Amino acid sequence: MPPFFKYKKQKVHTDQSKDTQDSANHHVPEPIESSLSANLDSIKQKTGHSSDIIVRTIITGNTSLHKASVVYVAGLVDTQAINEFLIEPLQTNHDLLEKLYQQDGLDKVTKEFITLGSVHPVTNWDELFLSLMSGDTIILIDGSNKAWSASSKGGERRSIQEPSTQVSVRGSKESFTESIGTNIAMVRRIINNPDLWIETMKIGKVTRTDVSIMYINGIAKTEVVDEVRKRLKRINIDSILESGYIEQLIEDQTITPFPTIFTTERPDITAGNLLEGRVAIFVNGSPDALLAPALFIGFFQAVEDYYSRYDIATATRFIRVLAFFISLIGPAAYIAITTFHQEMIPTQLLIIVAAQRDSVPFPAFVEAIIMEIAFEILREAGIRMPKVIGSTISIVGALVIGQGAIQAGIVSPATVIVVAITAIANFATPSYTVAISARLIRFLFMIIAAVFGFYGIILGFIMLLVHLVSLRSFGVPYMTPLAPFIPKNLGDTIIRTPLWAEKIRPRLISSTDNPVRAGEDQKPAPPQKRGMKKKNTR
Amino acid sequence: MEKAKISAYQLFVLIVLFELGSALLIPIALEAKQDAWLAILLGMAGSFFLFLVYYRLFHYYPDILPTEYMQKIVGKSFGKFLAFLYILYFMYLAARVLRDFGEMLITFAYPRTPLFIVNALFLLVIIYSTRKGIEVVARTGELIFVLIFFLGISGNILIFISGIIDFKNLLPVLEEGIMPVLKTTFTQTLYIPFGEAIVFAMILPYLNQSKKAKFAGLFALGLSGLILAFIMVINISVLGVNLTSRSQFPLLSTIQTIQIDGFLERLDAYFMITLIFGGFFKISLYFYGAVTGIANLFNFKAPSRLVYPIGIVILLLSITIASNYAEHISEGTKFIQLPIQLPFQVIIPVLLLIIAFFKHRKKRGK
Repeated sequence: MPPFFKYKKQKVHTDQSKDTQDSANHHVPEPIESSLSANLDSIKQKTGHSSDIIVRTIITGNTSLHKASVVYVAGLVDTQAINEFLIEPLQTNHDLLEKLYQQDGLDKVTKEFITLGSVHPVTNWDELFLSLMSGDTIILIDGSNKAWSASSKGGERRSIQEPSTQVSVRGSKESFTESIGTNIAMVRRIINNPDLWIETMKIGKVTRTDVSIMYINGIAKTEVVDEVRKRLKRINIDSILESGYIEQLIEDQTITPFPTIFTTERPDITAGNLLEGRVAIFVNGSPDALLAPALFIGFFQAVEDYYSRYDIATATRFIRVLAFFISLIGPAAYIAITTFHQEMIPTQLLIIVAAQRDSVPFPAFVEAIIMEIAFEILREAGIRMPKVIGSTISIVGALVIGQGAIQAGIVSPATVIVVAITAIANFATPSYTVAISARLIRFLFMIIAAVFGFYGIILGFIMLLVHLVSLRSFGVPYMTPLAPFIPKNLGDTIIRTPLWAEKIRPRLISSTDNPVRAGEDQKPAPPQKRGMKKKNTR
Repeated sequence: MEKAKISAYQLFVLIVLFELGSALLIPIALEAKQDAWLAILLGMAGSFFLFLVYYRLFHYYPDILPTEYMQKIVGKSFGKFLAFLYILYFMYLAARVLRDFGEMLITFAYPRTPLFIVNALFLLVIIYSTRKGIEVVARTGELIFVLIFFLGISGNILIFISGIIDFKNLLPVLEEGIMPVLKTTFTQTLYIPFGEAIVFAMILPYLNQSKKAKFAGLFALGLSGLILAFIMVINISVLGVNLTSRSQFPLLSTIQTIQIDGFLERLDAYFMITLIFGGFFKISLYFYGAVTGIANLFNFKAPSRLVYPIGIVILLLSITIASNYAEHISEGTKFIQLPIQLPFQVIIPVLLLIIAFFKHRKKRGK
């Protein structure tokens, strides 16, 4: 809202862009020399004589001997390919090589002899090291101030496995790996279309991590793609170790418990979101793709909703939203009712609850807080514990908390039930990131419920809504299509309409030029039999 | 003026929530006895006329706030004085409504909590959301509108199936002729809640489709009038005229009589949620009117920073406005209607419109 803040933001932004421009202008990359030995020396010197930098010098030619060197990093490259397609041709084809030298056709050496996939010339040290360190092989030839970099990326990597956090009963069982190339290929295998565009850049001054943005040209909004690109280019940090780094550096608002960028480990979710007009960001070394712009309701959409029929999908989605509410205000409502509004529960139930709480020494709030914190500790321990001892400790924890605390009279059974339901409800949210923010906000609700009862809860709820509504993800209001209300896009929110009824893409996310996703008359119509069905007049 | 845009639908939602805000909860129009619903409907009809006046003024000056066009219509210094009076009026009403809701909460749920604390907490939430701008308030409105809609429908279903409605309570219609109804209309329902829509004159310039403003506004007033009249019919037919007019919160009493199968009873939460949601929008909109008015009148570049001082003023005003609830309520329903509400809601806008009309005709003549 305030022009004041906008002004400030812009100012900061222009300063930074000026800085980066300046530094870019000052830095002039050093060119490669023509002496092979000098080049090899400076490679060794710059890499600190690291033992995994392999230099293989080959002497070629019959009459006049020419030296050529092959440089690569052990482990990052496909050694077999280098041996077969690089070193061997260089060693064996003496005659031809010599001819080519004489004709001064250095370019042809690479063009005709190196049988590896892509080869391109490199003229300065910056480029050389960039490709060397990302797994390419460098070929240096004595007397030439050009080097060639041949792509030979390979080495050991984790294979494609089943998704571990976004599990589904139906649908593909693939999940992303740590290799950006594999991840991009997995999405390409789903969307066989030249309009699937990919841009790659290196981010991180020290790590120089590959970061790719992927979108479908014509479906994604150009403004959003530009914005993503702009925000990625702005990043000036030494390292990008995981997609979480990128997420934190490009999100719209930092002071919020809610994620404004969606993360997924499944190629099919990525493809589905790309088809809605979103932009995917892949980071090398991270098995999670980022998807932007993200909507709040998107965190409740499990991938199976789209694979199963709409009535079932709607019912399960409704359960999920309900579970989210319970996980948010479950304990808070319990505290408010037992502390302030006893009259709101039916008398029979009230008597039971009151009888249980009679022997408990703490107020409901303290009781609930103790149980919640104990549960959070258990959960946190469960995640980080070595798998071997994990199950034993969680059983012990559950027994101590469940049985022990009640029998010792420290907490009432009702509290344990409420905390347990809340915990289970929290796991019903398909997205871990939103579930974790609900965990956080739950404590605030509990505190305000202990102080003000339902009044506090409702005010807290209003504040939560105002906060959610004020969020934006890459310019798109977070609560779309509920607020701003877009009736045409309501088909994929708390309810899910049948696939044949969803004819257009989300309005604020995808490009407005190309909104139609399905043709007319997609409703399956079985052949008419025995006149039971009315004839289709069209 | 902040650079925000709201849609016609958002305006519609805001007006409905605003009108239902307090009128749904407090006893209105009960001087007309069992014909209260009729007085509400007549008030609604009158409000159409008032809204058209506000709309017409907006139509003459579509891009600027009332605080600015007043200066253009009646001259710089007098216009500024008038605009300042309006700002005070909005602040006063914000404080009044805040006091209303604080007192209601204390009476029915938190008898031992100090009024100041209840009001301060409420105002904190309002400050937080107003600071984020009209767009955010409007979008929150869209979400809460749906919520209240579901609450209202389910509440009505519960009332109907619990079998407590007796339509005979509404008879006889027009027992003492039309005069008491008309009197109630012109002394009460026209101003509370319908004339209070004057605050939307401050919001109309934010519309992105100004042509739809008239339709959205009239439709919203119509819908809220119908809902209010319907709820009053339900209240009277459940409780009877006597009980309704003696009850502090007729809707609460109606809800409390719901009893289904010995299990669904005391659904006070329904009332409480509606109460707080409605109050939130009513106060937020008055508050917003005051904040943008001051920012506009005194050329503040950052209206968002004004919310804190004005918030504190409104909070203190809401405490000192009356010494007790009885005084507060009788001031609100009897004393402020004619001396304050009538000129601000009816007389000044109509006079402004007349002057603006002649000014524009002169211009066109030239």
